[in-house]
Amino acid sequence: MAILAGGVTTPIGLDLDAFWSGLLAGADGVSAIERFPTADLRVGRGGEIKKLPPVALGIRSRAAALLVAAAADLRARARLDAVPERIAVIVGTALGGVEELEHALADDGSARRALDGLYDSPAHALAAWLGARGPVLTVSSACASGATALGLGADLLRQDAVDLVVAGGYDILCRFVMRGFDALRSLARDRVRPFDRRRTGLLLGEAAGLVLLAREADAPGPPLGRLLGHGSASDASHIAAPDGEGRGLEAAIRAALAAGDVGVDDLDFVSAHGTGTILNDRIETAVLRRVLGNRAAAVPVNSIKGALGHTMGAAATLEALMCLLAGRDGWIPPTVGYEEADPACDLDYVRGACRSVRPRRMLSTSLGFGGCNAALVLEAGP
Amino acid sequence: MTAGARVEAVGVLTGWGEGVESLPADARTAALGRSVIPLDRPALDGERFRRATRECLLGVVAVEAMLRDAGIDRETIRGPGTALIFVTAAAYGASNVEWLAGRAGTLHFPYTAPSVLPGEVAIEFGLTGPYVILIGGPTATIDGLWQVGRLLAEGRCQRALVLALETFAECEALWRRARWALPGPMVESAACALIGPGDTVPAYRPAAAPSPLEGVVEARAGRTLACAPLLALALAREAGRREALVSGTWRGRTAAIDIDLAVAARSGRM
Repeated sequence: MAILAGGVTTPIGLDLDAFWSGLLAGADGVSAIERFPTADLRVGRGGEIKKLPPVALGIRSRAAALLVAAAADLRARARLDAVPERIAVIVGTALGGVEELEHALADDGSARRALDGLYDSPAHALAAWLGARGPVLTVSSACASGATALGLGADLLRQDAVDLVVAGGYDILCRFVMRGFDALRSLARDRVRPFDRRRTGLLLGEAAGLVLLAREADAPGPPLGRLLGHGSASDASHIAAPDGEGRGLEAAIRAALAAGDVGVDDLDFVSAHGTGTILNDRIETAVLRRVLGNRAAAVPVNSIKGALGHTMGAAATLEALMCLLAGRDGWIPPTVGYEEADPACDLDYVRGACRSVRPRRMLSTSLGFGGCNAALVLEAGP
Repeated sequence: MTAGARVEAVGVLTGWGEGVESLPADARTAALGRSVIPLDRPALDGERFRRATRECLLGVVAVEAMLRDAGIDRETIRGPGTALIFVTAAAYGASNVEWLAGRAGTLHFPYTAPSVLPGEVAIEFGLTGPYVILIGGPTATIDGLWQVGRLLAEGRCQRALVLALETFAECEALWRRARWALPGPMVESAACALIGPGDTVPAYRPAAAPSPLEGVVEARAGRTLACAPLLALALAREAGRREALVSGTWRGRTAAIDIDLAVAARSGRM
């Protein structure tokens, strides 16, 4: 499936160009959180968007506002040239409209706010803003949501159920989730250090990322890239931690490669989930080593969570876009925060500065609460 | 490898009881003015279940009900050959409200994620195949059935469970506010369909008119949101049908799917 264009709003840039420039420059979007109180938390930092683009101002739900901001960026880059009934919206999220639920519990009893608290509300708000009247799907495979959303979008197109799909993911930084990860002691006190020997945990971020998918034959011009395959698998081992051997992740990767008819010899780059937790990065490294086999040392790997924080439902889409932009421009962004090698994480991580490589075929991996694993296989355009 | 799909079994629990035979003739009358018809927390043994939420346990019990309907044991569905598609509009609400109210401890936080509901089910039954979690009402369940058809057709799994779950009791005040949009009793439900290979590819209609079965389910069961299409499948099997057109309507969109049904052991009582 052709990926015609992308649109984002992130802590390091409010549109795709600024996001990409920030990644290449090694920008760090993590800062002290200002939008809600954090004094009672161990960690009060995250990838917070300080000022929303004008198009999102006045939208009550912050989640919907992030999506609309990303959609405005997307629309500036590509036309939604199909009848509204044949345009689908599929977005992934870990938190949906949970902040609206919090407001609904505290406010004057409005019915609208109660419904806004449902996790599929932001997707419907996005569809309404776009004027899309086809299927509207919300995927909530925790932090793997965005990858599955893109995969389902490709499936809808392959079945000829729709002509265009706006697919992606989003999540906001709010007290609900900060309090949770803070209580679990999953948050790093200083910075996110994916794959680094000194890594101590993740930091959260907020963002939205969207792509416009179409059948290759319907693409009006050279696409930004292609989604060749996707796969998902359940760990069935723990509700909040990855399987110790990464079996679900490995199954998802192998399924995505098989779906795309891509062999490991064809992979030029891996965008890792790379949260910066001790467990994730070690397990993910081991899985990639198994999958890549004797090419493990030759394939560059990065994580952009040091630059953005873990943007949860948005992460996979942002990482997919990063892959395609790397293929377009011939630069792979660095793993911000990675400085000291860990013997347990022994892949070729891109460190320090962006690397001059033009990857053609790429793998992107995602994991999430509930034993969710997903993988995408992408190809750079045109 | 056949390209089609067929509903092999459906397990159903609702606030009215187990199985579609427990549904009243008219849910509104049977509700006696109650806005929510609840399901009790299942009594399941095991240390892991002590901490699990009521919603997680209902998911486990729904799969067990499906296994009884199918006449198969757990080992049949264990492993990478079984896909799990989970759908809910609202079952995460209870955990979220607990967390927001500050009544829950640290270890409760993961349960606020919708993905943890099927996660517990996957752990309990050893389901390690393709994994999709959709949020939405009955339309999302139709979308989930469509996805199962694709997974089977492409050989990405050998069978699939479509598990839907809705709880409302902990958020009853919020649902009362929304009664202008969702009239009728909100009926807590958990339902699981087992889909296996079949001769006919399910016909998915992302935009459709409501099927007669949709109205039957709403009249008899009340508002069961994502569970409604699975109740419709169970009713159709109970009536001895070999195929069914089921639909779901949510937020102004109706989707439908034609799908084959395996004959139920007991049928003809719809």
